[in-house]
Amino acid sequence: MSELERDRHEIAAVLQQPGVRPDPSLRITRRTFVHKSCLVGAATVAETFAWWPLLNTLDVAYAAEAPFKFAWISDTHLYPKSLNTRFVEKTVRAAKEVQAMSPPADFLIFGGDLAQLGKVEELELGVEILKEINIRKVFIPGEHDWYLDMGKKWGELFGQPNWTFDHKGVRFVGLDTVSRGPDYWTAKKMSPEERMGHMATLDGTVAGPWAGVGRDQLDWLQKTLSNWDQNRPVVIFSHNPLYEYYPPWNFWVRDWREVNEVLKPYTKVTNIHGHTHQVLYNEIGTMRSIGMLATSWPWPYAPEGVPKLTKPMIRVDPGDHFDGVGWAKIDVNAQDKVEAEYVMWRKQVFAQSPDDYAKSIPEVLRARIADNIWPY
Amino acid sequence: MTAPITWSFTLFRAAPAVALAVLVGPAVAHKDPVTPQLLNSYQQVFMEQVRKGDLLFHGDAATEEAMGVVLSKTGMACAMCHPMTADTHPATFPKFQAQMAKFATLRDMINWCIEKPNQGEKIADDSEAMKALEAYIYWSQSGTVLNPGKF
Ligand SMILES: [Fe+2]
Ligand SMILES: [Fe+2]
Repeated sequence: MSELERDRHEIAAVLQQPGVRPDPSLRITRRTFVHKSCLVGAATVAETFAWWPLLNTLDVAYAAEAPFKFAWISDTHLYPKSLNTRFVEKTVRAAKEVQAMSPPADFLIFGGDLAQLGKVEELELGVEILKEINIRKVFIPGEHDWYLDMGKKWGELFGQPNWTFDHKGVRFVGLDTVSRGPDYWTAKKMSPEERMGHMATLDGTVAGPWAGVGRDQLDWLQKTLSNWDQNRPVVIFSHNPLYEYYPPWNFWVRDWREVNEVLKPYTKVTNIHGHTHQVLYNEIGTMRSIGMLATSWPWPYAPEGVPKLTKPMIRVDPGDHFDGVGWAKIDVNAQDKVEAEYVMWRKQVFAQSPDDYAKSIPEVLRARIADNIWPY
Repeated sequence: MTAPITWSFTLFRAAPAVALAVLVGPAVAHKDPVTPQLLNSYQQVFMEQVRKGDLLFHGDAATEEAMGVVLSKTGMACAMCHPMTADTHPATFPKFQAQMAKFATLRDMINWCIEKPNQGEKIADDSEAMKALEAYIYWSQSGTVLNPGKF
């Protein structure tokens, strides 16, 4: 049995125990509908973007005090404007659409990877574009934002990477899952650019299992939740998913077991995460987890570990840079429901047949070799 | 494959060279029995291509320059959409490729990706860079079952 398989068996043993699920009152339904805003003005928009998106929702029952909605944008991966205008274009579009939400969202959560290579210029470009949105904005970091200057500029712009606030009966927590990567650079005397380069390569072999919450932050999380009613909703934002999906691409946090220990007593936990650039849904113990789209580009599903509960997204047209990407609206309505709605530009979000799902063609993949620098 | 190796091995040990020539005939008339050293050298040639292809696939500027190619002008590299070559599906080529609206080879597809999403400069079908990219993609997907024509 490979190490990965052993880990998976362990996940199953630890978390998927019979009878353990998110609060049974939280029933998930999925529906697909054509959003009103797409019908209005469809003709003009269609000319510009050939826009005919179907918006998709995940409904999660919740107990909010009053209806509200918030918006999620992440993984814009901005390069300097001169190099890549497409990523800029799409970030601008997402920002405009969030700002145009009516009624407005209560806040925007930016889920990390604002920049591509952590440059001051890139981060500032992001701030500039997001100025379009004048509701409250909260930020958590992605690895692309962090490893050029170890979060210096990011901290100057956005402050503390982990935080909490209560909003209309829901406790929101932002986690930093990126800054505690093991030091692979000092021994190799890497420049900041080299360090960032390895971190920015999803399938690289050098940066290793960098995604984690860390003991200190776990203690903070425990403390933060200790005065919260265990039956009231908690929404946790993290860049990486808080379960193990595919470690070679850091589609996990390495201390997911400990995270689960801390969250176990709480029955209505929703984790919303970025980094994976794809539609994902999973339930782990009493926590449900929703993966968000990037605005920049979609990652393929990993060769193994795609959660069984995920209804896969449709194969993307690589010739259309508005396909397979987008942002999300999360609605907490008067009927005590939270709807996470993928706003994917262009096509349908979900695969309609096995042929629409890339993983229906089996691939056996091996890790790259050209960046190997360690003697194992 | 197994049979001839066992044969000649047995013959080497048991019989003089003349008998070997008579018995095995054409099989060894064209070449000497392969040695671990030879196999190793063939493998090295291959893996050097894989390594170069890996670097090109991951947008290594120095390798691009050394090989005289411009695979991207957007900062995008192949591996950004295809980590570990995922979803390149080399085993499904040749096939009708919808984006190009034509019957296409893996090389056609590589060039399409270079020109469209990456906005780089097309490379010659028989160029060193093309061979290296192809070597890396196939190596990366060793063990994937051939399924030519599959959408
Ligand atoms: Fe990202
Ligand atoms: Fe990321």
